[in-house]
Formats: sequence, structure tokens, C-alpha cells
Amino acid sequence: MQSWRQFLKENWFFLAVFVVLVLFPHLVGWLTESSPFGVLRGDRYIMRGESTLWQAILIESFALSVLVMSYNLMFGFTGVISFGHAMFFGLGGYIVGMLLEFPEFAGIDPALRLFIGLLLTIVICGVIGLGIGFASLRLRGVYFAIFTLAVAEMVWIYFSRFDRTNGEDGLTISQMPAWIDPSQNRLALYYVSFVIFVLTFIFIRRLVNSPTGAVFKAIRENEDRAQAIGYHTLRFKLMAITIAGMFAGIAGIIHAILQKSARPEFLNVKFTVDSLLMTIIGGVGTFTGPVIGSTGLYLLDNQLRDQVVTIGSTTIDIGDSWNLILGFIFVIVVLIFPYGVVGTYQRWRAGRKNKS
Amino acid sequence: MPAILETRNLRKEFGGLVAVADVSLTIERGAMHSIIGPNGAGKTTFFNLLSGKYAPTQGTVFYNGNDITHVPFHQRAHLGIGRSFQITNIFPNLTVLENIRLAAQALSSVNFRFWRSVTAYPEFTRRALEVVELVGLRDAAHYPASVLPHGGKRKLELGILLAPNPEVLLLDEPTAGMASEQVPELIATIDTIRKEGGRTIVMVEHNMSVVMGISDRITVMNLGSLLAEGTPAEIAANETVQRVYLGELYGSADELVHK
Repeated sequence: MQSWRQFLKENWFFLAVFVVLVLFPHLVGWLTESSPFGVLRGDRYIMRGESTLWQAILIESFALSVLVMSYNLMFGFTGVISFGHAMFFGLGGYIVGMLLEFPEFAGIDPALRLFIGLLLTIVICGVIGLGIGFASLRLRGVYFAIFTLAVAEMVWIYFSRFDRTNGEDGLTISQMPAWIDPSQNRLALYYVSFVIFVLTFIFIRRLVNSPTGAVFKAIRENEDRAQAIGYHTLRFKLMAITIAGMFAGIAGIIHAILQKSARPEFLNVKFTVDSLLMTIIGGVGTFTGPVIGSTGLYLLDNQLRDQVVTIGSTTIDIGDSWNLILGFIFVIVVLIFPYGVVGTYQRWRAGRKNKS
Repeated sequence: MPAILETRNLRKEFGGLVAVADVSLTIERGAMHSIIGPNGAGKTTFFNLLSGKYAPTQGTVFYNGNDITHVPFHQRAHLGIGRSFQITNIFPNLTVLENIRLAAQALSSVNFRFWRSVTAYPEFTRRALEVVELVGLRDAAHYPASVLPHGGKRKLELGILLAPNPEVLLLDEPTAGMASEQVPELIATIDTIRKEGGRTIVMVEHNMSVVMGISDRITVMNLGSLLAEGTPAEIAANETVQRVYLGELYGSADELVHK
């Protein structure tokens, strides 16, 4: 009884968000009088209406949140800066895409192929993460970052030229199992990605609060000292980069399923830089920061990109100058919230507590 | 008394520079052994060889009679050798207690248990609280280490070192940068630590009065090699030492003051 109360007191915020997100498609549907299942045409549903539109936005937010949380595990909690994180993200999409599209796998049930794709992504991203780590984690800071960038760019260039996935055009996924196809049954994909998002959040929180997580933080704070007190820091850094790679791959699968394609852009360094910015804006080394950073920036992007603002005689197409606007937002956020939105809030609260 | 640490012809070169030149030194179990010498004498390099931060160019290091020359840095902590740093070297954004708890956990087997909370292992927190008490930081236990004053950070440094209960403590200038009125307190703490566990302490120090007061043995280094070794009284009476080290340091300063 007591422990339940304690749990509620510590986690009420997360539980509230959880409930809202579970009900979200139906809430939006109810508020806008649209069906969360889409519009029925003949014997199948067509994804029209506010509810399905918002589902797509949130699915993308879940995918980005998983990606950014994994980046934060490495960068925010362990202090390892990688510029190659998009590689894992894109690989997840390509692995599932190739399994679904390549004719040699056509004999296998599509749902099974999806499942194999998930397992393969976890294994391959883990092995690559481990390999990159072994080859280069002895390098520190910027040298490691450059090495990861080089490897990721190699993979990006490879898939840009790979004939079987249509090179730069990318692979369109048409053989999607109907039950998770975002253009037929988006609600299912919404709940699947939501479950993945929740599990990732819980996993990373438990990991960081465990004895292993304590060592991660020690490495971030002072790697030499962590070694001096007896930690084999390389092993822990390998662990962090491997786990982060796995989750980034899973995020990539959600992204590819929602986009119904696997394209070279998914491997592009843009996703790494976005992860880095979203982590910093949300709050480096916090649990909710990456989620707030990624969802916030994605929503801004999504809502503002198509707007055209007219001030007097000048017309500004926000989509054209989006990167400029993003830059401004970044500068402002960093000035107002030097530790990210969540990090600054936590410090402010801790400061108030100490005074009272 | 048997030797706990021993070096034989230990040598370290950086390019053409010989930082430590064939040093053979025996440190006895339970001793308070200080290493002094002017700047650039090779004290810190010698220390880095003992703790495994650097690999020697030549020579051997023995610990309890076993050759540990090629045992890596982090492994030596597991053998029972802890070292502190001349430059304050803590985990700044973690609390004082967490700093010490991490050190207490380091030599256990729970480091890869990533599914349970740290609170599931109260033994490390208990040890951390003990150590916090011992080094006199109890009131600051829940503050981030970065807000401690310099003297407090030096104490924390000792606490981190002490948490895993090492046999040998290597202290690299524990009083470096401290205000002189804080030094006696820290020295008292070091003395407590030593008596508490019957530990061996090897200390590099610049501050002469500190060394003379509490050491059992003193080794004087100059230009990478051993100049003299003996009890504090012997060192104080040694003419070469007076000329090379004490003379240089204090004599010249005296002359400046009196002229």
C-alpha cells in the first residue's frame, strides 16, 4: 500500500501522459468528430480525418523520441559523442524494407518477415555498434565522433548507389502486412509504436538508475578517474553505444513503416544532427528531455513548415527558410535554457527546494 | 618488515627525455613513505608507473612479490592499489555520496547488473556513508561535488580512494593548492586513514613540513633518479639533500628575503 503510494507520487506525471496517449486517437476523434479508424470506403478504411492525421504525427514523434532517447543514453549519460547515429536509424528501415520487398523472401509470411526484421535489426545494429566501438572507442571526443561520421557516410553512400534498393530513389515498401499498414490500419501502428516508445523509455530509465548506469555517468563526468577507481571504462562505453545503436535501429523501423519506404536520407547525417539538437534543446542527461525536444521540434516543423506569413509587404514562406528559423529557435532555447528545457527546469526546482 | 611494493631499475623515457632513470625502491608494508624532490624530478611520472597509468620503458614493478609491470591501470585498483591525483579529480556533477558510492561499487561484481536499481545494493551506500564520515564530509554528502570548496574536494578525493578499502594508497600531492591553515586538518585525516586499516601510504609531496612530520621514510628524487632515502631525521641531516633540494628551495628564498 505504502509502496504503491510512493510509486504514484513519483510517477504520476508519466502515468497521466501514458493515459492521455493511450486515449489520444479517440480523444482527437471525439473532439474533431472524425473516426480514429479513418473513413470506410467499400470494404476498407481510407486514412482521412484529423484523428488519423494526428496519429501519423505522433507515430513519427514516437520514432524520433526513441532515436533521440538512444542518442541521449550515449551522449547525455555516458558522454560519448557520435556523429554516426543516423546509420543505425537508416539501417533499421533498410533491413525491414529489404526483407519485405526482395523477392527471395517472398515465401515467408509478411508478419514473420517483420518480426525477423526486428530481430535482425537489433542483432546487426548491435554488432556494428560493437565493431565501431572496438575499432575506435579508444579514441576520445572529437576523434571518435569523426570516425563514426566516416563509417555512417560510407553506409549512406553505399545505399545511395545500391541498385537493388533503387539507389537514391530508395525502396518503396508495398508488401506491408495489412494489419500494420499505415495507409490501411494506422491505429495499429500507432499502438505498436507507442508500446515500443514506452518500453524504450522504461528500459533506459532503469538502465541509467542501475549500478551500470552509475558507471555510465561516472565516465561522462571523468573517465580517467573512473579508470583509476577500477572501472574498465571501454566495456561500459561499448555497452552504451551498442544499446543505443539497437534502439536507433528500432526507431528506424517505425519510421520506415510509417513512410512506407527506406530511403538514403534516413541514413543521412541530418538525423544525427537532429538527434543532437533535440537532446540539447530538451535537456542533456535527463529522461524526459529527449522526448520533449524531439516531439516539440517535430511538431513545430510539422505545423509551421507549410505556413506562409505576410508581414506588411514581405511574404515569408516558412518552409523555405525553415533551417534559418530552426537556428533561431536553437539559439533562443540555449540562451533561455542553458541546460535544455527539462534540465533547466529541474535545476530551478532543486534551487527552490534548497531555499525553502 | 616485508616489502609491499618494489621497483627494480624502473625507467621511463618520453622521446629523448629520461623522466625516471633506473629507480629501484622498496616500500615496506604499513609504512608512510614520502617521495620528495624539486619540480621536474620525476615524482609524478614515477607515481604514474606505480599506478599503471604509464607503462615503463624498462624495469619491473612488484606488488606483494608479484610482477605487476604490465597489469593495466584499472586492474591495479582491483589488486588493492588506489591512487589520488595532483589535480583534483572527482565526478563534479554527482553528489559527494554518489562519488564515493561509485568507488565502493567499483570492485564488486554488480557493475553490469543493469536491470536493478542502485538502491537494491545498500551495502555500497553503507560503505559510502562510513567513508563520508571518516573524511569529514557528512554535512555535504548530498551536495554536488562541484560546489565543495577546494579543501573539501581534496577530502572527497581521499574518500573516493578509500571507499574500496585498498591496501596501498598512492597520494599525489594531497595538499596541493590548499590554504596552509587547512593543511593540518587534511594531514590528520590521512593519519586517521592510515591507522584505520593498517594501510601503506606512498605520498608525493612538495610541502616539507607535512612530510617531515608524519613520514616513516622519505625518498628524495632529483633529475629522475634517487638521491637519498632514509628516516626524516636522516634526510634532514643529509648534506647532498640539503644542497640539491632543501638548499635550492629554501636557501635561495632566504637570500631573497634577507637582501
